[in-house]
Amino acid sequence: MNDLLRLLRMFKPYWGWTVLGIFLSFITLLANVGLMAVSGWFISAMAMAGAAGVTMNYFTPSALIRLAAIVRTAGRYGERLVTHEATFRLLAELRVWFYQQLEPLAPARLEAYRSGDLLSRIRADIDKLDTVYLRLLVPLVVAMLATLVFVVVLLFYHPLLALVEGTLLLVAGVFIPWLMNRLGHTTGQQIVATKAQMRAALVNDLQGMGELLVYGAAASHASEINRLSHELARQQQAMSGLQGVAQGALGLCANLAMWGMLLVAIPLVSDGRLAPPELAMLALFALASFEAVMPLPLAFQTLGETLAALRRIFELTDMQPAVLEPQQPLPMPHTFHFAFKDVVFRYGENADTLHNITLDFSPASKLAVVGATGSGKSTLASLLLRFRESASGEILLAGQPIQHYSGEALRQHIAVVPQQTHLFNATIRDNLLLAKPDADQAAIEAACRLALIHDFISSQPQGYDTWVGETGVRLSGGQAKRVAIARALLKNVPVLILDEPTEGLDPETARQVMHNIVGHVQINQQSLLLITHRLQGLEQMDNIHVMDAGHIIESGTHAGLLAAQGHYHYLTSINKLLVEQTKS
Amino acid sequence: MTRETESRRGKPDPAITTALNNWKTHSGFWLKAAVAIGMSAGLLLIAQAWLLATTINAVVFSKAALADVMPWLWGMLAIFLLRAGLAWASEQAAFHAAIQVKLAIRTQLYGHVQKLGPAWLSNERSGDIINTLSDGVEALEAYYARYIPAMSLIVLVPLAILVFVFGSDWISALIMLVTAPLIPLFMILIGKGTEKRNQQQWKSLARMSAHFLDVIQGLTTLKLFNASRREAQVVAQISDEYRKGTMSVLRIAFLSSFALEFLATVSIALVAVLIGFRLFWGEMDFFYGLFVLLLVPEFYLPLRNMGTQYHARMEAIGAAERMVEILGEEASSLPAPLAGEGLGMGGKEAASLPIRLQNIDFTYPDGRQALKDLSLEIRPNETLAIVGPSGSGKTTLINLLMGFLQPQSGQILIGDSPLPAIEPEAWRAQFAWLPQKPQLFPGTVADNIRLGNPQASLEAVQAAAEQAQAHAFIAALPQGYETIVGEAGQGLSGGQIQRIALARAFLKDAPLVILDEATANLDMESETLVQAAVQKLAQGRTLIMIAHRLRTVRSASRIAVIDHGQVAQVGTHAELLETSPVYRQMVQAYGGEA
Repeated sequence: MNDLLRLLRMFKPYWGWTVLGIFLSFITLLANVGLMAVSGWFISAMAMAGAAGVTMNYFTPSALIRLAAIVRTAGRYGERLVTHEATFRLLAELRVWFYQQLEPLAPARLEAYRSGDLLSRIRADIDKLDTVYLRLLVPLVVAMLATLVFVVVLLFYHPLLALVEGTLLLVAGVFIPWLMNRLGHTTGQQIVATKAQMRAALVNDLQGMGELLVYGAAASHASEINRLSHELARQQQAMSGLQGVAQGALGLCANLAMWGMLLVAIPLVSDGRLAPPELAMLALFALASFEAVMPLPLAFQTLGETLAALRRIFELTDMQPAVLEPQQPLPMPHTFHFAFKDVVFRYGENADTLHNITLDFSPASKLAVVGATGSGKSTLASLLLRFRESASGEILLAGQPIQHYSGEALRQHIAVVPQQTHLFNATIRDNLLLAKPDADQAAIEAACRLALIHDFISSQPQGYDTWVGETGVRLSGGQAKRVAIARALLKNVPVLILDEPTEGLDPETARQVMHNIVGHVQINQQSLLLITHRLQGLEQMDNIHVMDAGHIIESGTHAGLLAAQGHYHYLTSINKLLVEQTKS
Repeated sequence: MTRETESRRGKPDPAITTALNNWKTHSGFWLKAAVAIGMSAGLLLIAQAWLLATTINAVVFSKAALADVMPWLWGMLAIFLLRAGLAWASEQAAFHAAIQVKLAIRTQLYGHVQKLGPAWLSNERSGDIINTLSDGVEALEAYYARYIPAMSLIVLVPLAILVFVFGSDWISALIMLVTAPLIPLFMILIGKGTEKRNQQQWKSLARMSAHFLDVIQGLTTLKLFNASRREAQVVAQISDEYRKGTMSVLRIAFLSSFALEFLATVSIALVAVLIGFRLFWGEMDFFYGLFVLLLVPEFYLPLRNMGTQYHARMEAIGAAERMVEILGEEASSLPAPLAGEGLGMGGKEAASLPIRLQNIDFTYPDGRQALKDLSLEIRPNETLAIVGPSGSGKTTLINLLMGFLQPQSGQILIGDSPLPAIEPEAWRAQFAWLPQKPQLFPGTVADNIRLGNPQASLEAVQAAAEQAQAHAFIAALPQGYETIVGEAGQGLSGGQIQRIALARAFLKDAPLVILDEATANLDMESETLVQAAVQKLAQGRTLIMIAHRLRTVRSASRIAVIDHGQVAQVGTHAELLETSPVYRQMVQAYGGEA
C-alpha cells in the first residue's frame, strides 16, 4: 500500500488531467442513470395521462431525455480520451524515470539480474501500472461520489429505498471487490512472476539455441517453456474464474436492488404515498445505478498484479548504487596521475579480490598488468572507472582521493575497451559515434584504420552503414573487438584502458593492432593501461605489474622482469617453448 | 512484399485472418459451449423483462397489491440466480477456449523458432521474438475469449429479442430492424482505417521492446562513453512516440464507439418517444410498451460493445502478423527428412566415416557471400584445424557442418549420405560443440555441464570439469558445483565460462568434436593445460577446430587454410610452411607473440 501511495505521488504533475478525467467520468454516469429513470417515468406518466384522458407537459421530460443522451455519449468520448492520455503520459515518464534509476546501478548492482528480467520490469511492469489510474483511481472515486448522490436522492422518496440501494451498492462496490482482492492477490502475483520467468527463460533459450540443439537439450528446454506456459494458463484460469464469479455476483446485486425497490415501493404505491409512474422510474434507476460499481471488482482483482509489479520496480530503484557521487565534485585535473595505495577490494561478503595493491599510473605512461584469468586485473580497471568502491586503502587522482571527483566527469577522460564488448543493434557508424557524436568521416576512418577494421567495413555493401546484429552477432568476435578498439581510439582522451584487446584476433592482426595503438598513444601523449594475460608486445611498456590471486607479485620493465628470473620469466619461457615446438 | 502493399490499402493480410480462424480449432468445443450458455442467458433476460413489465403493469393499472404480484417476484428472483450462474459459466468456457489456443500457438512458435535455428536467430532481434512469444501470444486471449463468442451472440441475442418485440409492437421492431445494421456498417467503415495503424502500433511496441533489451545489456558501455544521459532522451522519445501512436489508434477507436453509442441512444430515444405518444393517445397497451422499452437497450447492448470487441480483434491481428511471419519463415537449417526416410546414426559411426564438403556456395540473405565453391574432406579420427584471417568464412563453415545453415549449392556428405538425409537430431547427437561465446543457462554449474546429459553423475561432471581445467575454480566457488550462475554467467569471467562449456563437451563424449576458438579467453597456463586435454579428447575421435593461435594448431593432423571463402591449402604444419604464403605469414606473426 505504501508503494501505491508513492506511485500516486508521482501523479502530481498530472493533477489537472486526473481531476478532469474523474469529472467527465462522473457526469457521464449521472447522465446514463438519469436517462433510464426519466424514460421509465415518462412512459408510465404518458400511459396514465392517456388512460385518464388528461393532458400533460411532455416537453420538459423529453428535453431532459435528449440532454441526458447527449451528455452520456459525448461525456464517454471525452472521458476516454482524457484518462488514456493521462495514463500514457505518466507511463512514458515512469519508463524514463526507471531507466534513470537503473543507470547509476550499472554495472556493479545489476550483475545479479538477468537482462530479460530487467526488460520485463522496464516494459511490462510499467505498462501494468496503467491499471492504477484507469481501472482503480477513476472508478473508485466515481463510485464513491455516485453512491453518495444516489442514496441522498432516494432519501427524498423513502429511507427504506435508500437503505436497500445503499446496502447493495456497498456489497457490490466494497465487499465483492474486497473478497476478490483477497482471493486474487496471490494468483495475481504468481501471474506476474510466471510471465517474468517465462520471458527470462526465453531470453536464455534463444541466445543459447545452438548449444541447446547440439547438446540435445532443446526438447527439455522446450518442455520447460511449455510447463511455464501451462502454469501461466492454470493461474490465468483461476483468475478468470474469480472474474466470472465477480461478474455474476455484481449482476445479481443490481437485480436484487431492483427487486428490493419493487418490494418496498409497491406497498407505497398501493398506499398512494408514491405516484404510480415513480414505480417504473425507481426500478429502472436501481438497475442503471449499478453501472457505478461495475468496474470495481476487476480493479481490485488486478490490484494484486499491479502491486506485485510495483514492488518489483521499487525493489530495483531503491537499491543503493555501488559508488556514491560526491556532493561537490572537484574540477577535473589537467593531467591524469593515478596512484593506488594499499587498495583492498572484495565482492560483497566474499574473500578479498585485491590485496594491498599499490601502483602508480602517471600521465603519458604505458602500464601493463598481466596475470592469469581471475587474478583481479579487471577489477583494477573498474575501480579506476569508479564503477566500484574499494574496501580500504585509497586511489588518488592528481593527489586527491578519487571519491572527490564525479564519476561521469572522470569517465569523460578515459576510453575503455572492455573484455566483453557490447555493440548496439545499430549501424557500425552509430556504434562508433557513441564515442564521439560529432566525429567526422575522416576521424572515424582514421580510428578504424588503426584498428585494422576499415578494410573490412569498406568491403561491406553498405560500408559504415552496415547494420550490426543484436549484441554484434553478425560480426565475428575479432571484428567486433576491433570495432570496439576503433571506438575507444576515436574518443581521443588522455587515458586509454585496454582489457584483453587482442582476444579473438589472429596473431598477425593482433600484433599490428597493438603496434598501431602504442604508436597512437605515443603521438597523442595518452596514458595506456593494458590488461592482458598474453605476453606479447610488452617490451614497449614502461612498467609491468604481474598479478596473481589479487596480489602484485612482481613489477618492472620487460627486460628487468626477465632478468629477475621470477614468475614473468617463467610464463615467458613456457610461451617460448610452445612457439618453438610450433615452428619446428 | 504483398503483405505490405495490402496493409497499405488498410486491409489485414488474408493470411493473418485465415491463420486466426484456423487457430480456432485448438479451442475444441469450448467456444460453442460459451455461445450456447450466452444464448440461454439472453433468453432468460427476455423472461425477466416480461415478468418486470407484468408486475409494474399490474401495480400501476390493475391496482394490484404486493401479495398479488409476489409469485412473479419470486420467479424473477429465480431468474436472477440462474443468470448469475450462467454469467460465470460462459466466462469460464470462453476463457478456457482462449487458453487452449494460446498454449498451442506458443508451443508451435517456439518449436518453429527452434527449427529455424541459431543461424536464423542471429539475424533477428531476440527481444522482438521474445515479445512475440510472450506478450504477442497473450494478446490473442481477448480475441478468442471475447471477440469470437461476442460475434456469435451479437447476432443471436438481438435476433431473439427482435422476435419478441415483433410480437409486442411491430413499429418498434421496425425501427430496431432498420437501425441495427447501420451500427456494424458504420463500424466497419471506421474500423478499416484503424487496422493498419494498429498493426504498426504492435510493431512499434516490439521495436521498443527490442531497443530496451539492447540498451539494458549495453548499459555499462553507454556509461563508459557517457552516453547514458543521451540514451535517457532516446528512451523518453521512443516512449513518447509510442504514446502518440497508441493515442492515435485509440482516438479512432473511441470515435467509432462514440458514433455507435450515439446511434444506439438516438434509436432508443426514438422508440421510447413513439411508445410514449402511442400510450398517451391510447393506441397501445402499457404492458407491451414497458416490455419493449426494457428490451430495447438490451437489443443494442451487444452491438454497442462491438467497439471494444473489435479492438480485441485488431490487437490480435497486430500480434498475429509477426507470428504468421515467423511461422512462414522457411527453415534454412536442415529440414527434417520425410518420416521413415531419415537415416539414424548408431555408435561412433560418424567418427569412422569421412565428411566431404563438395563445392559449397553460401551467401547470407543480405548478400554477403561467405563461402564460394569450397571443398574439403574431413577424415575419420583426424584432428583438423581450420585457420584463416577473421571473416574468412570459418564460422559459416562450422554452421553448415552442424546443419544450422544450408548451402545454396554443393553438398555435405557423411560417408555416402548427404547431410539433409540424416535426422537432424541423430546428426547432432554425433558431435559436441564449443562455440565462441558459450551461453550459460540459469541453474547450477553442475546443471550447466550436464546440459546434454542430465542423468550424468556428479563424479562424471567433476571428471569432465577436471579435464577442462575447470574443477579448481568451480571447487573454489561459494557452493562449488551447486553455485547458481545467471545470464551471461555474470560473476564468472569469460575464461571460466569457456571452461564450463568445454567441460560440457568433455561430458558429452561424442565421436565428433567441434571447437570454435576453444582456447580464446584462457590465460596461458590454462591454455597449455586445456590444450593437453583437447589432445586427449582427440584420441579416437574426429576433431575439427577453428583456431587463431598456432600453438592450438600444432597438434592437428592436418590444417586447412581458409581465405576469402575458399580452402587455400590443406596440409600438415611442415607442408604448409613450404607451400602457403598466408600460413607462413601467420606463423611469423605468431613468433612475434612471445
